Amino acid sequence: MNTYKYILLFMGIALMGCSDLEESPIALLDPDGYFQTTEDLQAGIDGSLTHAINEEIWGRKLSIALMLRSDMVNLQSSQTRRVEMNTHTITGDNEMVYDPWKRIYLGISAANTVIQGANGVNEEESVLNPIVAQAYFARAFYYFHLVRLFGDVPYFDEPISDISAKSVSCTPEAEVYANIISDLEFAEEWLPNTVSTRAKPSKAAAKSYLALVYLTMAGTSDATYFQMAYDKAKEVITNKGTYDIDLDPDFQTLFNANLIDASKEPIFALDYNNVEAPNNAYDQTAPMTGIRGDDDDQGWSVAVPTMAVYDSFDPDDYRTRVSFQTEATIGGTTVDYTNFTISGHGDAANQPYIAKYTRYPGPYARGNKRATSHNYSMIRYAEVLLIAAEAGVEIGAADAVDFLNEVRERARNGGNSTNGGYVEETVPASSVPADLTSITVDDVLEERRIELAFEGKRWYDIKRRQLGDVVFSASGYEGDKPDWNASEDYDTPIPQDEIDRNPNLTN
Amino acid sequence: MNLKIKLTLLTLFSSVMLFAQSGITIKGTVVSATDNVPIPGVNVIVQNSTNGTTTDFDGNYQISVKKGDVIQFSYIGFVTKSITIGDQSTLNVSLSEDLAELEEIVVVGYGARKKSDLTGSVSAVKADELTAFPVLDAEQALQGRAAGVNVQSNNGGEPGAPISVRIRGNTSINASSAPLIVVDGFVGASMPQPGDIQSIQVLKDASATAIYGSQGANGVVMVTTKKGRSGKINIEVNSNYSIQSTANKLDLLNADDFTDYQNAVRQNVALTNGNTPTPYVRGDFDTDWQDLIYRTGNTQNHQLSVSGGSEKMKFYLSGTYFQQDGVLINSDYERVSVLANLDAQVTDKLQLGANLTTNVSQKAGVTTQSNGSVTVGGDDVVSLAMRFDPNKGIYDANGNFSTNDLIGDPVDNPWAVATQRDDDTEIENFRANFFANYDILEGLTFKTTFGLSSRNTFRGIYMPRTLIVTASGVNGRAIIDEDKTNSVLTESYLTYNKEIGKGILTLLGGYSFQKTTNKGSYSEGTGTIRDSFSYYGLYTATNLINGEGGDIYFNEREIQSFFGRVNFDYDDKYLFTATVRRDGSSSFAANEKYATFPSAALGWKVSNEDFLKDNNVISNLKLRGSYGVTGTQSIPAYQSLAILSSLYASSNGETVAAVTPFQNANPNLKWESSYQTNVGLDLGLLNNAISLSLDYYNIDTKDVLMVDNSIPDYFGLLNSNIITNAGEINNKGFEISLNTRNISKEDFSWTTDFVFSKNKNTATKLINGDDYFRNGAPSYFSVNNTSLLREGEEVGLFWGFDYAGVYQGGDLPAGTATLPNGVAGDPLFYDIDESGDITNDDRTIIGNPNPDFTWGLTNTFTYKNIDLNIFFQGSEGGQIFNMTNVQLNNGDANTTYDYYNSAWTATNTNTNQPRVGNNSSREMSSRFVEDGSYVRLKNLAIGYTFDTSIIEKLGMERLRLSVSGQNLLTFTDYSGLDPEVNYFGSAGDNNTSSNTVKGFDFGNYPTVRSFTFSLSAKF
Repeated sequence: MNTYKYILLFMGIALMGCSDLEESPIALLDPDGYFQTTEDLQAGIDGSLTHAINEEIWGRKLSIALMLRSDMVNLQSSQTRRVEMNTHTITGDNEMVYDPWKRIYLGISAANTVIQGANGVNEEESVLNPIVAQAYFARAFYYFHLVRLFGDVPYFDEPISDISAKSVSCTPEAEVYANIISDLEFAEEWLPNTVSTRAKPSKAAAKSYLALVYLTMAGTSDATYFQMAYDKAKEVITNKGTYDIDLDPDFQTLFNANLIDASKEPIFALDYNNVEAPNNAYDQTAPMTGIRGDDDDQGWSVAVPTMAVYDSFDPDDYRTRVSFQTEATIGGTTVDYTNFTISGHGDAANQPYIAKYTRYPGPYARGNKRATSHNYSMIRYAEVLLIAAEAGVEIGAADAVDFLNEVRERARNGGNSTNGGYVEETVPASSVPADLTSITVDDVLEERRIELAFEGKRWYDIKRRQLGDVVFSASGYEGDKPDWNASEDYDTPIPQDEIDRNPNLTN
Repeated sequence: MNLKIKLTLLTLFSSVMLFAQSGITIKGTVVSATDNVPIPGVNVIVQNSTNGTTTDFDGNYQISVKKGDVIQFSYIGFVTKSITIGDQSTLNVSLSEDLAELEEIVVVGYGARKKSDLTGSVSAVKADELTAFPVLDAEQALQGRAAGVNVQSNNGGEPGAPISVRIRGNTSINASSAPLIVVDGFVGASMPQPGDIQSIQVLKDASATAIYGSQGANGVVMVTTKKGRSGKINIEVNSNYSIQSTANKLDLLNADDFTDYQNAVRQNVALTNGNTPTPYVRGDFDTDWQDLIYRTGNTQNHQLSVSGGSEKMKFYLSGTYFQQDGVLINSDYERVSVLANLDAQVTDKLQLGANLTTNVSQKAGVTTQSNGSVTVGGDDVVSLAMRFDPNKGIYDANGNFSTNDLIGDPVDNPWAVATQRDDDTEIENFRANFFANYDILEGLTFKTTFGLSSRNTFRGIYMPRTLIVTASGVNGRAIIDEDKTNSVLTESYLTYNKEIGKGILTLLGGYSFQKTTNKGSYSEGTGTIRDSFSYYGLYTATNLINGEGGDIYFNEREIQSFFGRVNFDYDDKYLFTATVRRDGSSSFAANEKYATFPSAALGWKVSNEDFLKDNNVISNLKLRGSYGVTGTQSIPAYQSLAILSSLYASSNGETVAAVTPFQNANPNLKWESSYQTNVGLDLGLLNNAISLSLDYYNIDTKDVLMVDNSIPDYFGLLNSNIITNAGEINNKGFEISLNTRNISKEDFSWTTDFVFSKNKNTATKLINGDDYFRNGAPSYFSVNNTSLLREGEEVGLFWGFDYAGVYQGGDLPAGTATLPNGVAGDPLFYDIDESGDITNDDRTIIGNPNPDFTWGLTNTFTYKNIDLNIFFQGSEGGQIFNMTNVQLNNGDANTTYDYYNSAWTATNTNTNQPRVGNNSSREMSSRFVEDGSYVRLKNLAIGYTFDTSIIEKLGMERLRLSVSGQNLLTFTDYSGLDPEVNYFGSAGDNNTSSNTVKGFDFGNYPTVRSFTFSLSAKF
């Protein structure tokens, strides 16, 4: 009998654990059925927009690429991918092309997931649409970068689940623009007038971007779009009270992580947080522009303006003070830029450095001023004024000059900045820059160059205004760029890896 | 023939007397020729009859025979003797030990076979080879010992570094190619301590591995631990102590030369960028950072085992203590292990047993091979010691640790990183396996096992404020990483044995179920309240760093299987084996839950045929052939499901929920299948004084799991690394295993063991035929695509610029160009795309890390009481990408005298080394690809075994003392520290089990040279 006891025991063990082999993950989200409430949608929107702070977009690779491709910032180091940006010899293998492309499409797909997911959320249009409108805005924000960089790009308005999307062709630039406008119009209609943080899209953000989109579409000569850009910018300007936006009295505040969130000037910003999130989801633009070998910045001295750029700024213009770091403390001694190399560091340069990122990176920045909590402005009120001014000049609007002078007037205020060694100092008001009495398009573009210096705007201005042959000639701020070729260098090559995967992608 | 064996034999073979036929009665005693001790249990058979008996406890037998009969005396481990009966009535026989036969029982999946009956390809490694010199992990001892097996430390001589084992090459690209380890029948176990291992068998061909189905494609390492035997209780003590030092050091510039070098670099850089050079001013120190971080290390290993038992109950108990102080300051390792094996004969038919083992290890590490958590490799002690400014002291003028603030990237000094940073890992392994064996009928046995294993890992890392660059800005950084894996396994199978005429049929059928659960968490924070809290201060962190979903995880996997095997041996000449396993796995997609893996093999013992039977030269000749299918299923759970990922986001200063698409569903994801053909030959000459095994194999792996790089990134998925069954890999190779007894005299013997392995690993099909790149460089090098997978090429070729020498100024040599702004002295490269510039489009294949062949050669000599073991191991033809020199020749770090003295200058133009401070920025080019062939004296050991007469008084049965040296000599042309390189990179494309990124050298923990004193005693 004993024997059978054992046999039964074994059979029990042997039969244990028959399974259907189905997987039931506990801590993973299934996209099907995830979106049930507006909070779920908001999580998708925050997911979409947070991609923009990543090192692959505004944390470094796109922001620095836009600086290097402009006539304002030179390369102080020699990495091939950055050299290509600076000399306009960009290949499809360049990571500064590929990584932003990849990351921007992550933002787009997250936005598309929200827009599709909203169909399953049972809410009134009046509750639902103001939320979803943020996703439309995010999608437009990302495609606007793509279309300005690459021209024709693959366009998707829903999450891609069908593998046949592997062989799509590029959507023509004009169609991409039409979709961007349609998204921004939806956003303009449904977004609220004011928002709890400028990192959330608002009605003013949608309108301001629409104005910039129209200005870009106008190119050098399209009067219809100049008119639309002017009208849309003026809508923002006229309703600035409703939208709670205005110029900040102190230009330095715009580049101060501690003060920027209270400022009325940013219209749309990115939410840089106070952590260094994984996958490089944090800022490294500051160290890229910082002085090397000094006591404070310990920067990487990569993106540095030429002397000619510095010399093109009026020394009495407060914006010069705010935009450039001309002094540094090295070995305990404060020196000016002619002595930056006394640090002995081989990569240091005796030139003024960009100050907009390094001067006030906020309390959370780590070594080299990485991982700032500074919510960088993507579009701010001064730019809207300059859009109105530029489009206004083009259509002959009389108030164009006023918008420009409003920007210059603020610069004369002076304000609270620092000198070398980051000692706080009040800069008194100045008579520079004086108001202009009449303006040309070039005046506005020059004003944009000074006002928006190093903010990632200049390359797009050069492209839309087709300024390359002038600014990259021997008379340009960076001297002659022999590799510049206007017939092909305005468009960024689509990443070669993507073309290898889908040979139909040509632009 | 000692008492212990006697008792064992008694237990195994209780005498069975058969009734004798009419005739004369012969009686006698059978003894061992070696020591004249009687052998119990010897089979005594009258040939061509059913008449037979066995010897009793005292080796005596008695049998009825007729005159002219031939009596055959046979026993495992001894040469069979046949004697024709004449007129005698007493026949005393002495059997000599058969050295070749001693190892002949080979453990295969769900059973054991005599080696001579094997049809598959199996390499065996003996216990004494595993303990010939101290190793932390028994897998290390397989290097150069088993043909077809390649072994490498993942990080040189780091205490506690993982070991990578590859059997017959890599069959996978993304899935792990680590072999399945089966310990005493437990599938997927961790390795026992070397001293507790009785034997290791490496199953290589499909005939041997297909019984493990979807887990068998990478080969199977079958480990059998030591078991108790009935009889006297044995106590064994094995102790060894090693002193260790770095085998090598780079010859780096001293402070004066470094100052000259830096000024030359700056002058030259100015030629490129037009800036005015900043003079480099000589500092107050002259520090040899390598000297500061290295020390004399030591290892000690002590094992105590007790074994014995009665007929009813046998046991083996063992405890092992291993401790190592690494040659890098602050790198230590300590481990305690316990093993208990119990066997109980409950009834005549029922046997129960248990294997229990546990070990706890603690590793205090310093970071080598930076994982990228600190930018610019600032946590990587070995490479920092090479890079760091020799003009700096440990401390600066303010008493802080000095930083690299005059050249290159800001990093903390290596001494500070090594001493200030905590990196502790504690691992607990536990495994229990219970089994029952029941003889249902004659020839029919049922066996069932039930086991569980668990592995818990705790890792804490802390970077204190004293690290100026790394952690002072954030007020300390703390990381705690915990991981827990549990596995439950139950297997049951029936084995049936039947003699059918001249044939022997063995059938096996069974069922297996295994469930593995893995969970863990990773937490990181900055701003701790006190450095003295170390990583435990994480709870005080003011700033917690959240992850993108991968930081807290839970995975569960189930595998259920049915398996069967048929063996049919006919006339001891013809062997046939067929196996099949049907596996279901939860980690495969909905449409592909089950797979079937068959195999078949034939063997022909040619030497048992009449025409060879009495051949004096050929004592053994067997031909083997097999074909079968095995699988790899080691991809993560949930890989086939659509997933939305959470990621870190904030809004208005608050952390908010955020999601983004992670991956799309992949309902067709399944296992990889390897179709393997094996042809082998076993040859024994001169009574097996020479035994040779040759194997040729061809493995076509299909449905190889690959990252589908054909999915464009505009799909917008965070994990664009969608794994799909797309690739094909071929491995073909040739293995030689040669063992010779060159001299076998009473006082002097000499044996030689030689293994040779040649494998060629080719990517035969990739998605759309596309090239597939990986990055093996440190992330701060800012380069990509250093390793290539291309259809028709070997796996893991180096990719980069093809160096064409130094530009001498003037016209560029045809077909070459420089990087932008090239001047005389700058590196020249072949302009592959003929664009006139060197851009990323000029990259091409520049090297091959795969060796042509590897080999091991062991010579063992014994003279009286002295034994000498010399073990060489080598690798031929593989290339190394010397990324250490990429960094050291870049101008922003210290450099070698070799480069400093040979670099191009206006007066030294006849050189292949470009000027210092040239226009390249850590370019990946053939300039840094070197031959990595080597021959290494892995072990040289001399031992002395005391005469029993001396040690008996001490109550000992055996006492052996030995002195040995490891890695004493290395012959190589490689200019780096060590040709056994395995940098696993910080760019995220590589890890410790990578198959595609290999052959890179950068900041490895150095391989060590050791001197070892060992004592082995048995009581």
